[in-house]
Amino acid sequence: MSFNGNIEEYKGVWVVAEVSEGRSTQTSEELMTPARQLAGELGQPVCAVILAGSGDDTSSAEAAFGRLGAEKIYTVKHDLLGQYQPQLYTKALGDLIQQQKPNVVLFGATSVARDYAPRVAIRTGGGLITNAGELKLENGILKAIKGVLAESLLADVSVANTRPQMALVRGRTYEKPSESGGSANVETVTPDLTPDLAKSKLLEVQQTDTGKKKLEDAEVIVSGGRGLQGPENFKLVEELASTLGAAVGASRAVVDAGWRPHAEQVGQTGKTVTPTVYFALGISGAIQHQVGMRTSRTIIAINRDAEAPIFKIADFGIVGDVFEVVPVLTQVLKEQNLASV
Amino acid sequence: MNIIVFVKQVPDNTKLRIDQISQLGGGGIPREGVDMMINPYDEYALETALRLKEAAGGESKVTVISLGSASAKDIVKKAIAAGADDAFLLSDPAFLDGDSTATAHALAAAAKSLVPDHQVLFFGQMSLDDAASQTGPKVAELLGHPSLTAAKGVELLNPASLKVMRETERGVEFHEMTLPGVVSVMKCDYELRTSNIKGVMKANKAQIPAKTPAEIGVDASKTGKTGSSTTVNGLSQRPPKEAGVTVDGSDPKAAVDQLIAFLKEQKVL
Ligand SMILES: Cc1cc2nc3c(=O)[nH]c(=O)nc-3n(C[C@H](O)[C@H](O)[C@H](O)COP(=O)(O)OP(=O)(O)OC[C@H]3O[C@@H](n4cnc5c(N)ncnc54)[C@H](O)[C@@H]3O)c2cc1C
Ligand SMILES: Nc1ncnc2c1ncn2[C@@H]1O[C@H](COP(=O)(O)O)[C@@H](O)[C@H]1O
Repeated sequence: MSFNGNIEEYKGVWVVAEVSEGRSTQTSEELMTPARQLAGELGQPVCAVILAGSGDDTSSAEAAFGRLGAEKIYTVKHDLLGQYQPQLYTKALGDLIQQQKPNVVLFGATSVARDYAPRVAIRTGGGLITNAGELKLENGILKAIKGVLAESLLADVSVANTRPQMALVRGRTYEKPSESGGSANVETVTPDLTPDLAKSKLLEVQQTDTGKKKLEDAEVIVSGGRGLQGPENFKLVEELASTLGAAVGASRAVVDAGWRPHAEQVGQTGKTVTPTVYFALGISGAIQHQVGMRTSRTIIAINRDAEAPIFKIADFGIVGDVFEVVPVLTQVLKEQNLASV
Repeated sequence: MNIIVFVKQVPDNTKLRIDQISQLGGGGIPREGVDMMINPYDEYALETALRLKEAAGGESKVTVISLGSASAKDIVKKAIAAGADDAFLLSDPAFLDGDSTATAHALAAAAKSLVPDHQVLFFGQMSLDDAASQTGPKVAELLGHPSLTAAKGVELLNPASLKVMRETERGVEFHEMTLPGVVSVMKCDYELRTSNIKGVMKANKAQIPAKTPAEIGVDASKTGKTGSSTTVNGLSQRPPKEAGVTVDGSDPKAAVDQLIAFLKEQKVL
């Protein structure tokens, strides 16, 4: 692709930080690990960018990114940025990129960043790698490994001869770095936005039960499938999950049957998760389910069919009846007072 | 109401054989000798479009556009059989092997020239082979339209605006979008329709014009490989997982004890 700018002018590694309830999110903080690594190799600074409403308190996030090693923070504040809107966020970040010319821009693969980062790529002429796993530089070119074809293959993808080089990095790909930094130099930026730029608006949010653990952030996930034989039996799954401090997941078969909400679905048409431990209870392990959970560190399967495909990817499998095994497991964990570390 | 659905032909991942995978070198995913299908999310995009057409009534029309090789005609015909009214293929060597930026330039030009009075453009959330999730918002940016991704349903509020339901980490969001606009659809809660005899007959008879870059008014250097902002250097298989342990659960207590010992050994308990 032909690039209109001067590539040499593009310097620095940016992390686009998301702030929720006044604090930077875990996914954003994790991005500081690859950002510091890439910036070290390039000999260029690490900066963070925060987009927020005029009245939002961003001080805790700014302090956190300073401690995590950002040298500079651009806090872009405007009344119109209080709620996410794709065209306003695209303009606010796109203008800053065009002014400051960063070399690399990293986003967490969240439902906000995934929604507007492609627009930013068109606006700025940059190249964007989505759903990136580990990142590296080769002759100054950003490369990433990403799963394609329902995660069955790994593609080695690089940004073409253009800037900025951008990536949407999957949560939990990296651990957040040690807090070895100091305090960053914070510059407040006022973007040039007008209400008429926004051709969509948020009407309402139906919050999912906030008491529940989010699948994407969970260290441990207990998922149930059609082997549970009915929605009422999901209490087995829920009890094991609450004993372990885990989130509940589900196969598509039980979501389609209306036993569980779509938000719990793991797989090709649901969520992709990477917990430390994933329990598959009464789940056959169809390829479309595997896609969403195969990168979990440890996979435990309980299924009465020894031939079920889930056993091919399980680290520990029990060929048995969920109705017999799961209650015993929950009970023993409770008795021994064991929860996940 | 004029609706466009963008559909992509992709390899059927469930039928890809190991020998085909092991032959992979640089470049993209193999297509020769591989079973192809319509991208799964695009089926939901099509279903959402057909439902919107029914809700809008009047002179509403659904046009299907696919960029790909000549065989992409198969999925376009499938879309006509399911109820789409019109279809175009963007099939020219200059269009091929592009990433989402290059493809977006071609699709945006096609939307503008082939259906100038379009009101809603539907995309799938993600293509199975590129897994980019970028084409919808990129086309919107090029056309100056609003865009929303991760949609699981839409509702027509009035002739000029659409309510879009988005599924996000924090829950379900409802947005109002001014038309013309772009919606990228994920899995929806409703069933996909199957084609009926009338549709299949219509599909068999349908003429599907193939368009070149010049015919849709896009600079050929902006599409295909030359217009790409990213490059696929190669593909590989995932490193195989080490074989796990499987135990017999007919004595649940014994199996559970072994599992707990395993979890402690892994330092997760
Ligand atoms: C385009 C497309 C996208 C898809 N996306 C997804 C997706 O995102 N996520 C997803 O999960 N699926 C997805 N699927 C569906 C997938 O192919 C499977 O149909 C689905 O995962 C099966 O769910 P399951 O394992 O719960 O049910 P089944 O396949 O019916 O398996 C039930 C299992 O429970 C076991 N069992 C039964 N009784 C017991 C018992 N008492 N004790 C122990 N074990 C028992 C059985 O041996 C069996 O293995 C998709 C399919 C398509 C075509
Ligand atoms: N070659 C193509 N022809 C038609 N539509 C496409 C093409 N490539 C991508 N799309 C559309 O863009 C969506 C997202 O694709 P991607 O950005 O590649 O993940 C797909 O689900 C399709 O709706």
